[in-house]
Amino acid sequence: MPSLTVTANTVAQPIAAQRLDRVHRPTSLVMDNDAGAGDRVIRIQDIFTPAVSNGVPVPVLTTVDRFRQTVPIGDMINLDEDDLKGIKCLGSLNVISDVIDADCHITVGYETE
Amino acid sequence: MLELVPKPQFTVVVPPKLIQEGYLVNFTNAWPSTMTHVRGKTFRVEAVNQVPYPRGYIIPTGDYRDVDLSNGQGTFQESFYPTRSQSLFEVALGLRPGNYLVQFYIPATRSIHNLEYAGMTPDVTSATKVYLGARKPEDSPPEDTRIKMYLVMDLEPLILRVFVLPGVDYEKCVLDFTINKCDLREIQPTDAERLKAKVIRYYDELKFG
Repeated sequence: MPSLTVTANTVAQPIAAQRLDRVHRPTSLVMDNDAGAGDRVIRIQDIFTPAVSNGVPVPVLTTVDRFRQTVPIGDMINLDEDDLKGIKCLGSLNVISDVIDADCHITVGYETE
Repeated sequence: MLELVPKPQFTVVVPPKLIQEGYLVNFTNAWPSTMTHVRGKTFRVEAVNQVPYPRGYIIPTGDYRDVDLSNGQGTFQESFYPTRSQSLFEVALGLRPGNYLVQFYIPATRSIHNLEYAGMTPDVTSATKVYLGARKPEDSPPEDTRIKMYLVMDLEPLILRVFVLPGVDYEKCVLDFTINKCDLREIQPTDAERLKAKVIRYYDELKFG
């Protein structure tokens, strides 16, 4: 199961690119705000362009929030597969923060199925 | 302590899921006269080649997309059809898990799975008839595909209507196609060969009644 660590950023940080024939499921999420400068709101975002369908003849790039967690300053939150059960990214798997903070680290592990 | 397992009296042989080299196929006389390259003929399969081709579509909830297997450059066309008269494409369809249904139409707007009473036609705009004749992912999982389609040159467009059931925002519908390309050689079959041949019916034969 691959994983990637990124720092808190207000631009969505890509973890796994879209697979046309698969979905991504986050299986672990560690949000380390021990040395951060303030409380941080971390979200998992699913970014994709839907297929042309009957109701949407001209689809556009779409962003859907799949998860949200506030991480208090000086704290570290560790979520495992059970905590993240049911979260599925149809397109690319990304994480985003409400504030840029180089001292707040987010590690996401995921499976592609 | 010690067991001697008796010799089995018979063994069960599971037949291959796809048409194999050397198989015989017979197209019924119900195929239209415009398709003389197959109508009423029997062929031996000279060679096969399986081509996997998964296709995924992210579709909003309550919406649908038509997947047209015929050839062309249209938005919905997948260009699966053979272009040689001596080819048969056996297409196995596996449906990956998700909150969606698939209905089958050939040609466009004509469902294969009508009932006989007036109005009993699959309809994605109806809360009940959306389920009529529809196949769910568990009906044909990719590891045990149970939906097969037989495509020959000049067949009318076969359309799969992929409908996402009500749920959370979007669903990803992944259709795992395996296109078993079969190279055909016409034979004059003996009675025994004709009985042994796999019968490939025209779609109208499924729409009786």
